[in-house]
Amino acid sequence: MSFLEIKHLCKSFDTVPVINDFSIEIVEQTLCCLVGPNGAGKTTTMDLITGRQKPTSGQITFCDDDITGLDEHQIARLGIGRKFQVPAVFRDLSVRQNLEVAFSRSTNPLKNIFRFREPGFSQRLDQIATQTGLTERLGVEAGILSHGETQWLEIGMVLMQDPRLLLLDEPVAGMTEAEIEKTVSIFKELKKTNTLVVVEHDMAFVREIADVVTVMHMGSLLAQGPIRDIEADPRVREVYLGDEEG
Amino acid sequence: MNPYHNVKAQWLAYGVFFALLALVPMLVSDSFLLNQFATYGVFGMLALSISLCWGFGGILNLGQGIPFGLGAYGMAMTMQMQTQDASNPMPPFMLNNSLDHLPLLWEPFRQTALGIVLALAVPTLFCAIFGGLMFRARVSGPFFAIMTLAMLSAWYTLILDIQPYTNGANGITPPSPLKLGDYAVDPYSPVAYWSVLALLLVATVGAKLMTLSRFGLVVQAVRGDAERVRFLGYNVAGYETTVYTIAGFIAAVAGCCWVVLTQYVSPAQFDTTFSLSMVIWAGIGGRLSLIGAIIGAFLIQGAQSYLGDTFLNTWLLVLGAFFILVVRFLPKGLAGLLESILGRFSTSSKSNGNDVAAHRLYPQPGE
Repeated sequence: MSFLEIKHLCKSFDTVPVINDFSIEIVEQTLCCLVGPNGAGKTTTMDLITGRQKPTSGQITFCDDDITGLDEHQIARLGIGRKFQVPAVFRDLSVRQNLEVAFSRSTNPLKNIFRFREPGFSQRLDQIATQTGLTERLGVEAGILSHGETQWLEIGMVLMQDPRLLLLDEPVAGMTEAEIEKTVSIFKELKKTNTLVVVEHDMAFVREIADVVTVMHMGSLLAQGPIRDIEADPRVREVYLGDEEG
Repeated sequence: MNPYHNVKAQWLAYGVFFALLALVPMLVSDSFLLNQFATYGVFGMLALSISLCWGFGGILNLGQGIPFGLGAYGMAMTMQMQTQDASNPMPPFMLNNSLDHLPLLWEPFRQTALGIVLALAVPTLFCAIFGGLMFRARVSGPFFAIMTLAMLSAWYTLILDIQPYTNGANGITPPSPLKLGDYAVDPYSPVAYWSVLALLLVATVGAKLMTLSRFGLVVQAVRGDAERVRFLGYNVAGYETTVYTIAGFIAAVAGCCWVVLTQYVSPAQFDTTFSLSMVIWAGIGGRLSLIGAIIGAFLIQGAQSYLGDTFLNTWLLVLGAFFILVVRFLPKGLAGLLESILGRFSTSSKSNGNDVAAHRLYPQPGE
């Protein structure tokens, strides 16, 4: 059984191809980093997996279910959680309420009118708040959190969903060294039980956490493998790592 | 903690508010005045429905006159048919419009119970279908507001145009009060006032419970970022349609009460200025507070009744200027003013850095 499999995925905006015959397989309980230069199609790939965009052609299967073309909420319910590039939290709700919304076991609007407490929520809240270091901040409005805290809150929200697959778009963007360190430890913990796909530019961070690195270029797969092989790959050095690594 | 955000304190405020309103008939002996106060209760329901839809759901609805008007027409038709009998089966205006038999549209309203059910069900169903179509196509924000406004104008024109069925611009004037069984509801009696107040109370408590439920939480999240909510596994269109439809149902109830109280309905109920003024009531009172919106309706309609005569044609100008001032300086309305006063009071007595109330005082980005 394959976990997440993308086959011959293509996406064009009008006539401009953004994803071009991209195929990849994600193995369960690994952390895969998706890297590549700007415009390589990393975020678009995430959009296509989570249903925000519909592919022009190709197929995406998740645990042998064909999820190509499903709506966002249907894909989320199957167990794919997503963190956005620009942290998206509910700014006028408290941190606690943010996590409560994300605890989405019951999604029927009519049933939820008569539901005031979700069984199992407070335990899960304690657990996630500890994991993301937000225990002290639960009563605070999410709009006043620092940038790093906002990132962690969104990671916490994704964890609240208890997804089988986590897609994280630039989770350490704009974080300080200390904050990145903390995020690394969160991810190392997560890796033990979850499958993660992380889009990230910070190569030091990628080196620290990745089991597998996938390099995209011009909407296609350029290289895939352990970080050591990737950094040695001349094609990758040319299009992506060249400037940085000298 | 700011008492404004204390749910127990909020319930207490609701209790006091409705207890005071229930005392009004003891103090007012003038039955015409009491009838007028009862119609304020109807406006309160409309403001409540706007607060639910716009304040909590973030769905700006400029067409709340649609469910209100449809409910009102349904009730007016029911009351009109109560006064018709076998020897005189058709409302007089139909004869004037040279109809020779009762149109099919009017048939169900010969039975009072069915008529009232239809008066509530038709507008609710309309909201469910219209809202469902719009929200599934992800029409939102100002685009949805424009669609509701367009739909409102369409209904206004339709009601006006099918004169043989609706009596056009003259509207329907049921000659006698609503009879429930053998009991006639005297619109000028304290019973009518208390009935409207009871319905307002039920609607307010129901709406408040709804905002406290998981549904209410998700709806508030949708207001903040609908896109994000989808990726958490919620069908956003379902939530938007539900809150829009519930608001429509409350407006339909208000429409029925309105006709019982005034024994009159006309296309004016579908007028854009009326629907816009509902939004203004909620905006001035505080759209994020259910009770604030109700008080907003009382204040504005009360002021219109008593100051409107003084200002005559300039009243709308005065109202508009007041609305601009509130939007500019009190974006959360009068309820927001109370919130910051109570917040200042509670933080000066007990400062707690890790408190939502304390932070609310500081300007927040994005507000």
